[in-house]
Amino acid sequence: MLKIDNLHVAVGGNEIIKGLTLKVPKGEVHAIMGPNGSGKSTLSYTVAGRDGYDASEGSVMLNGENILEMDPDERAAKGLFLSFQHPMEIPGVQTMNFIRTALNAQRKARGEDEMSAAEFLKTVREKARHVGLDDAKIKRQFNVGFSGGEKKRMEMLQMAMFEPRFAIMDETDSGLDIDALKMVGEVVNTLRGPERGFLVITHYQRLLDYIRPDKVHVLAGGQIVKSGGPDLALELEKSGYEQFIKAA
Amino acid sequence: MSNALLYNPTSMEAGLEAVFKTRTVTDAQQAAFARFAKLRMPNRRLEGWKWSDFNGALRDFSPINDAPAADTVASSEFASLNPLEFRIVDGRIELPVEEIPEGMRYGVIEPVATILELESHAIASLNVAMTRKALGIEVVEGAVIERPILIRHINTGAGFSFAQSMMRISPNAKAQLIETYEGNCAGFYSHLFHMVVRDGAEFNRTVVQETGPDNTLHALCAAKVNETAHFEQTSFSTGSRLARHETIAHFWSPSSSATINSAALLCGERHNDFTTHVVHKERDCETRQLHKGVARDRGRNVFQGKFEVERIAQKTDAKMTANALLLSEGAQANHKPELEIYADDVECAHGSTVGSLDEDALFYLRQRGLDEKSARAMLIEAFFGDVMSGVKNDVVRDCIHQKIKTWMETS
Repeated sequence: MLKIDNLHVAVGGNEIIKGLTLKVPKGEVHAIMGPNGSGKSTLSYTVAGRDGYDASEGSVMLNGENILEMDPDERAAKGLFLSFQHPMEIPGVQTMNFIRTALNAQRKARGEDEMSAAEFLKTVREKARHVGLDDAKIKRQFNVGFSGGEKKRMEMLQMAMFEPRFAIMDETDSGLDIDALKMVGEVVNTLRGPERGFLVITHYQRLLDYIRPDKVHVLAGGQIVKSGGPDLALELEKSGYEQFIKAA
Repeated sequence: MSNALLYNPTSMEAGLEAVFKTRTVTDAQQAAFARFAKLRMPNRRLEGWKWSDFNGALRDFSPINDAPAADTVASSEFASLNPLEFRIVDGRIELPVEEIPEGMRYGVIEPVATILELESHAIASLNVAMTRKALGIEVVEGAVIERPILIRHINTGAGFSFAQSMMRISPNAKAQLIETYEGNCAGFYSHLFHMVVRDGAEFNRTVVQETGPDNTLHALCAAKVNETAHFEQTSFSTGSRLARHETIAHFWSPSSSATINSAALLCGERHNDFTTHVVHKERDCETRQLHKGVARDRGRNVFQGKFEVERIAQKTDAKMTANALLLSEGAQANHKPELEIYADDVECAHGSTVGSLDEDALFYLRQRGLDEKSARAMLIEAFFGDVMSGVKNDVVRDCIHQKIKTWMETS
């Protein structure tokens, strides 16, 4: 599970996260909603270990280990996955080679056997079909020439391949049409299980029609200002974030 | 010296003159040395040499080649291709000990008296003056030589070595050449390659320089490309103390084409300079040029590309791209892409970028589980992707690919 305690993060000298505390027990899906600039992406980058997003105070525990001192790849090997808000195009990097190398690097770091080429090929094809990417798409250079929706499908393909213990989905729904939203919901619901947690960051309630969260938190001004059940998302959809911006 | 050819020579130039005077030379060689004496060893005050100062690097150099005759030469890394292997060891030509394959002629021949743009080139002039014999290879009309031709330039000595090669790809013939620059020595090697690709011929050349760090190298390839012929070249270099690979290609007839790609990987104090001059002298010719350079430590990547389009050369289609990645503070890239166009109905473009590794991409790969070194390696490999995909021979491509990997692993 993910346990964040009194986290403070400054980026470029500005404090963005100001004492955030959050607990996502294993097996649960929590949603974080919040207005623009409330620190949602900063939170996801900090947890994933991006340079320049260092915690000045507090802790982030993943399954009982403080991950703040770990490199991003060590965190990945511990089972942390970040679905990027703006996935990269990486020209020259072959998609399948990259996913397989990354998957096996994680497995190796955990002391597990590598996945064979044949097994990988079979699995990746099957999962690619599931997220709506055909063979031609996964044979291309990574995300090169992909639409915004296809890039998000590629994020979901990787999430399905890596089977992380904890996934942060940073605005995976932005730019997606209804069919793609359904697909994201299906991927998450397939992976959902007693040993796996999710933190779904979103602006809107509609993704939560497909992924029913156990809890919804409102992030404003760098702190969790309100937590509640799934109904909180509906409430926010009606009333907006203004009350929280003022309060923060 | 009352009859000195050089005025106020450096010790290197005086030494060269002393050696030259002991020789029995042809009129062309005499004229070539006189031209060298006038032009002098190129220095950084000359526009085309400002980043590659041969005079500075060689001024105190001893021209005496004290090379021990290298009798044992390790087998080539391209041996698995069963190539027709020629060697030029410290300037001495060694022909393959086997029957001459059908469709080819070769031998040790008289050196060239002139090559393209010789008049303005000091090192080429010096080479013409000093080289005694040349390697000549001809692929006869219509012959398709599947077996790669390999020329290995191996330098072991501390002095000067000069060599020349001439290659003629006759009409409608097809051949593939691999050239390697090898050896770990502190010498200066100058190689002049005179090449003719006749009507309808296809010629593919791959150059691999992997010498020790102390080597000084100047290699000039001057190619005449005829009608509907295609000349394809990929050069790969890990540089050395000072290395310059020049390519001069002239399109002499309509509808010919060339692809001239290059890649450099430079570490330590290594320097590599790819300089090209492509002259479109007839209409409907096409040139594609792509250069990629990666430098770290105090490595220096130099690229100078020039496309010239003469007035008659309408419908020329020429594109040049040069990209460099700098991995350390002290690394340098100097690029000079140039277009000189006198025709009015052409499509010509050039682009050049110098940057560092994309931090966003690096974080992305690391979030997926790759450690920093592997993530960097993946991005650097990706950076070379376009050049690598231009190498047609799988074995050669794998071999260069392996060199890139090794280079990154030793970082």
